[in-house]
Amino acid sequence: MRALGLDPVTDTRRAFAGLRTAMARPGTVQRLPAPADHAVLAALVDHKVCLSTPDQRLADAFSREGRLVAAAPPEADVVHAVGTPDWDPTDLNRGRLVEPSEGATAVYRVGTLADGTGDGTRDANSTDGAKTTVRVRGPGVPGERTATVGLPADHLRDLSRVGADYPRGIDAVFAMEDRVLALPRSVTMEVT
Amino acid sequence: MKPTRTGVRTVSEPDCGESHASDGTTGEATGESGGTPVEAEDVDGALAALDGAGLAGYNYAYLDEHTKREVRRAVLKAIAIPGHQVPFASRPMPLARGWGTGGIQTTLSLLGPEDTLKVIDQGSDESVNAANIRRLAERTADVETTTDTTAADVIQTRHRIPEEVLDRDQVLVLQVPVTDPLRKVDPSDAANRRRHAHANYGKMWVHLYENVVEYGEIQVASRYPVTVAGRYLMDPSPIPRWDVPKLNDADNLFLFAAGREARIYAVPPHTDVEPLAFDDRPFQVERFDAPCEACGATDTYRTAVETDEGDRLVVCNDTSFCLKRREDAGLAKDHHLDRDGVDWGPGTPDADDTDQEPATNGGDRT
Repeated sequence: MRALGLDPVTDTRRAFAGLRTAMARPGTVQRLPAPADHAVLAALVDHKVCLSTPDQRLADAFSREGRLVAAAPPEADVVHAVGTPDWDPTDLNRGRLVEPSEGATAVYRVGTLADGTGDGTRDANSTDGAKTTVRVRGPGVPGERTATVGLPADHLRDLSRVGADYPRGIDAVFAMEDRVLALPRSVTMEVT
Repeated sequence: MKPTRTGVRTVSEPDCGESHASDGTTGEATGESGGTPVEAEDVDGALAALDGAGLAGYNYAYLDEHTKREVRRAVLKAIAIPGHQVPFASRPMPLARGWGTGGIQTTLSLLGPEDTLKVIDQGSDESVNAANIRRLAERTADVETTTDTTAADVIQTRHRIPEEVLDRDQVLVLQVPVTDPLRKVDPSDAANRRRHAHANYGKMWVHLYENVVEYGEIQVASRYPVTVAGRYLMDPSPIPRWDVPKLNDADNLFLFAAGREARIYAVPPHTDVEPLAFDDRPFQVERFDAPCEACGATDTYRTAVETDEGDRLVVCNDTSFCLKRREDAGLAKDHHLDRDGVDWGPGTPDADDTDQEPATNGGDRT
């Protein structure tokens, strides 16, 4: 993924390490190579999974390495969104009851990202003003955590509705600059 | 002929070219398998002649990047669905399946040059398998290795969870021979996957009930079935019952990897893990009559070993912690942590007395 300015071995490993911790500790901000959404996708995507992305440069970079299998959001395994997407979380693939791990991973590039400790800030370049705070409980969360992400409240409410179908569901990763925060399907979230 | 990466890359897949770019050596790694002929008198001489050169052509951390992505995707889905067995494309490794191939693939996908690795086999750092896995990681992933549980970032283990409390930055990778706890009640994988889909675990409850009828208590020596996050029944790998409570509400991440069965599953930190048991037949850990004969510990899992002189000693199974206890008999299992109230399995020195109750009650009853 040199086309994206990421080292294919060390940066993807660091991206995975940050993502792994973010998934295991939902609602915490973790650091990884910037831009975080590109690093996450570089760590996850190859020809074995279908990708939906609005970012043409990213699609080209994957395509040049033979790693792009493009798909529409409802069919994709990894769904990338820049800002508020035009699809609905309820449209995405939630997997089957026998194999829920087939459910999609949604990677959002957002303009605001913060956890309860205040780690993370607003991206000054962002023009998207949406900002929603969610309360998170479940595996990986001792008690309760709060997280603030730059998406409309309706979108996050839809995301929590998808989780009602557990273990079917989708796993959400929010990225801004060099930070990620994950909300896997195992957590229950309450939009405030 | 140059050394090749035999058996590691599958040739049918399009080559992304990226692993080549990074280590700068793979481009010329072509040719058939068979290795490099070495002229030497004996095996030691042959190994010495190969030292260093044998790694040419291998990607960082032995696995190619495509394999790592496959393992990493499975690890992330496993964390997102605690206790669910996520299938992954398990690769052939340079040792027989069933000897920790899943654990090695997972460990090597996690490791970076700044990490420190510990490998244990039934509590011992010095078994042949543990030493070899450690050496593979040391040579290919350029990591530090240690036998000290508290100094490790990643710990790969076969059939034990260390006695010392694991901290939030540590990851425990457990090798798993049998992934499905239901297999002992039904050999059909398809039927068991349907049972997991619907959380239909009646057959396991009947199995445990029959156990109680036969023995008066639940007699499951290892692979004790647990419920993870209130949803999935999970096989915690063949750890003794002693280690099962450590999975509950831990600070660290547990990854379970089975290379032969090509499944990865996980228990994230701060997740409820409950051993199956009945209200009147509670879960019990192993009972020991005497303290460790080497360090005097009464709060560790002990096994019998035979010494070179032929004596039979009952000693701590976790050798690294036993050695520390011989220096300092009062060393707590959470001595390295700066917070109190860490609960880690049975008999943690500063744990509440109530934690000991199941064992005591069970002992009275039977």
